[in-house]
Amino acid sequence: MLEKLERLAIHWKKSLPGLVGGHNTSRFAGPGQEFLDHRHFHHGDDLRAVNWRVYLRLEKLFLKMFQLEPRIPVRMLVDTSRSMLTGADGSKFDYARKLAGALCYVGLVRLDSICLQPFSDKLADAFIASGGRHRFQPALNFLSALRAGGQTDFLEVAREFISTYPQQGLVIVISDFLDDGDCEKPLQYLSDFGHELILIQVFDPSDREPPWEGELDLEDAETGQHVELAFDSDARAEYTAAFDEYAQAIRRVALRNNGRYVSLPTNVPVDEAIFGPLVRSGAVE
Amino acid sequence: MYLLNLGLGELLGLAGAISAGIVALYLLDRSKRRQLVATLRFWSAADVRTDLKHRRRIQQPWSLLLQIVSILLLLLAVAGPRLGVDQESGRDHVLILDTSAWMGARTRQGTLMDEARSLARAYLRSLPGRDRVMIVRADALATPATAFESNRSVLEEAIRESQPSASALNLSQAFEFAQRAQKLQTQRVGEIVFAGAGRVPEEEAKLTAAPRNLRVLPVNATGENVGLRKIGLRRSPKMPDVWEIFVAVKNYGSRPHAVDLALQFGGAPVGSKHLSLAPGAEEQSSFTYRTKAAGDLEARILSQDKPARDAFPQDDRAVIELPSQQSLRVVVYSAEPQMLRPLIASNPQVDADFEPPARYDPQVKADIVVLDQFAPAVRPHADSIWIAPPAGKSPIPVRETRSKATLERWRPDTTLGAGLRSKDVEFDSAEIFSLSPNDIPVAEASDGALIVARPGTPKMVVIGFEPLGSQMKYELATPLMIENILRWMAPETFLRREVQAGTVGTVNVALDKGVDPARIRVITEDQRPLPFTVEGNTLRFFAGAPATVRVLTGDRENVYSLTLPDVAEAVWSAPQNVRHGIPRSQEENSPGTDLWPWLAVLGGAGLLIDWLLFGRSRAFRLRAAKMAASMALKRAAWRKAS
Repeated sequence: MLEKLERLAIHWKKSLPGLVGGHNTSRFAGPGQEFLDHRHFHHGDDLRAVNWRVYLRLEKLFLKMFQLEPRIPVRMLVDTSRSMLTGADGSKFDYARKLAGALCYVGLVRLDSICLQPFSDKLADAFIASGGRHRFQPALNFLSALRAGGQTDFLEVAREFISTYPQQGLVIVISDFLDDGDCEKPLQYLSDFGHELILIQVFDPSDREPPWEGELDLEDAETGQHVELAFDSDARAEYTAAFDEYAQAIRRVALRNNGRYVSLPTNVPVDEAIFGPLVRSGAVE
Repeated sequence: MYLLNLGLGELLGLAGAISAGIVALYLLDRSKRRQLVATLRFWSAADVRTDLKHRRRIQQPWSLLLQIVSILLLLLAVAGPRLGVDQESGRDHVLILDTSAWMGARTRQGTLMDEARSLARAYLRSLPGRDRVMIVRADALATPATAFESNRSVLEEAIRESQPSASALNLSQAFEFAQRAQKLQTQRVGEIVFAGAGRVPEEEAKLTAAPRNLRVLPVNATGENVGLRKIGLRRSPKMPDVWEIFVAVKNYGSRPHAVDLALQFGGAPVGSKHLSLAPGAEEQSSFTYRTKAAGDLEARILSQDKPARDAFPQDDRAVIELPSQQSLRVVVYSAEPQMLRPLIASNPQVDADFEPPARYDPQVKADIVVLDQFAPAVRPHADSIWIAPPAGKSPIPVRETRSKATLERWRPDTTLGAGLRSKDVEFDSAEIFSLSPNDIPVAEASDGALIVARPGTPKMVVIGFEPLGSQMKYELATPLMIENILRWMAPETFLRREVQAGTVGTVNVALDKGVDPARIRVITEDQRPLPFTVEGNTLRFFAGAPATVRVLTGDRENVYSLTLPDVAEAVWSAPQNVRHGIPRSQEENSPGTDLWPWLAVLGGAGLLIDWLLFGRSRAFRLRAAKMAASMALKRAAWRKAS
């Protein structure tokens, strides 16, 4: 699978400022290879960029501008709240870690700078990996050592993220986005501060379509609240509609801000998810 | 009604258990399921019903009731109830025919057994042809003569072949057997019919727990009878050739009787006594008779009343075979017979001959040969006792001949040394023997055996000193030692024999103290072992038929000649609520109607309704309700528009 992943690259759409060395073009001019435009020479410009052929013809100094391919930070927010442990044997949490690991490998192969940032109600200790595929093992160890716990608080996490990481970059959020509060606004904040969003919603099939019927005593995995209710097929249809509507709201946030949204049930294998929905969405190419 | 032969109580119990199971399953099915979910936001958003917080434990009582009623209906359907009388399957009856000893009692027309047979046949004739009957012969044991059988000729044959036995009636066991047979083998339980006199032991007479479906065909149980109850014989401990005889006679009747009790041995009179017996009285008489010969001892009761008055002559006479009194022939070769004579010939069971050593014959006809200070060239063929043999010719090698040897200990752990004690006796000269592996030391000095026994054929005991030529002649251990040696060599001769004539059934034998149960043997005439139990000092065995049983316990032999018929003392009277006599002929009435299909349909319908109303089809029901509601709304809107 790693061999197949090496053909991929994390792709971002926004023109973000950054050091040279990336693999995605930017609208910012800079020391690139691809020609972008000409402009008048101003005092202090680098004489090496002057187009001397044009000067010989027009006797005016024009400066050649090149397309910048900046190297921007890729930050992966991995949800470690307790809700990620629900479903079949905590598969959401494992699934999110595998997915984060795979994307981390894709980024490291392309010499991207990857920041693995776990979160629940606040940001946990991050792990920054960069410099090639040989840095993948520490990243894998970091992901393996992660433990789920705590409630989800996207608003607090967004605030902390913005203050911690002022440099704009690509933000990949891997989460079930099941926050009792509103998670649309915090995601919008991230986008407003110039980050490009790739939202990957991981959910267990029972999160979308509960298989149970009859009298249920439900307990919220994060808050511990209980609700007793009767559940039947009609109620299940209404439940699924509400879940889909919520997923659509998150998708709208991503698309509205020129980001990407991918919805991944845990019964889809990770490799199929990467080469299927993630590639189709343009998050990796 | 038939349900695996269950009674009403058992049927109700089964129904209760099933109902309890249904309630448990219902509560389990309707109980809330605890579930951990990622979030509750969609559950409330899904607008599901959350009004169940304070519901009762049983949430849908009608559903539960419907399920229980349906299951009970199905259970009743399995039971196969019918309206009216079943035309096709008859009832199954058990006919208990009293075959106890008393049924051989005489009546004017024959015996009580004849009366019981004719009553049983009359009962058979009164039954419908499809009814099945099991014939059970009841005495001390209840024995089925047929299975449940509808073939009347087979049943009548079994009745005809039933004969009085020698044992008393065990009525409770017969009833229990009949009930069990009906429970396990019948489809429609019929009657339990008892035909007989019902003469039972005292403890059985108080039996009140008669089966509810019992019918009694009574036979007159009363009758005047005086009979031999028990005869006991034993050898007199002082004079082994004298038999002590005890005879018990009982008056079973309701009037006093005078009888003559006469004993004969081999046709010769032994003794007689005149007895006057009050009603229910038992009297014991004792006689003595001297004989060593084997023969038949006959005890007879001669009624002074008219002979026909004794209804049960079977217990008026008993014959016991007496064994002969065998004596042990001992030949003593001794130069000083006067010394040994009191030691050996004083035993009445020993027939001793004293001969000088010169007349020694190895083929001498004797059970035991005693060689006193003398060793022949050819050893005797019989068992032998060697007293102080010459050292070089001893049959057991002499290791050493010592002067001033002291007898220090006896070996009480051996049969020969059991019970022997003496002070340390010093001999002027004694032989110390070398033992072979099978040799048994009986008495020992400090450095070896002084008396040695060698088992095998022939047996041999060698005494390394002169018992009567030393201080041992003053010790009690000396005659006891000789007694032990003779018992060890010829145990059959010294068996303590008792002979008893008794009745068939359970026999209790009082055991001597310290008898090892592992060494007890109870065997019949044909040497087959009979099962027995030992409880404390009492041995019990059971003989269901007349037999001679030998009980061997160590040196004691009890012979039980169980040939006297067991005439029970009391008469069982059936409770008032029990049916009596031959029923009227029961040829059939109206055909029955099967109810089970209706019950099955009703039960199934109940379960279907429950499933539709309360089961998984609730969705179907709700959708139908919604559709009905939406159609009603459309209809209302159309009316409004029009």
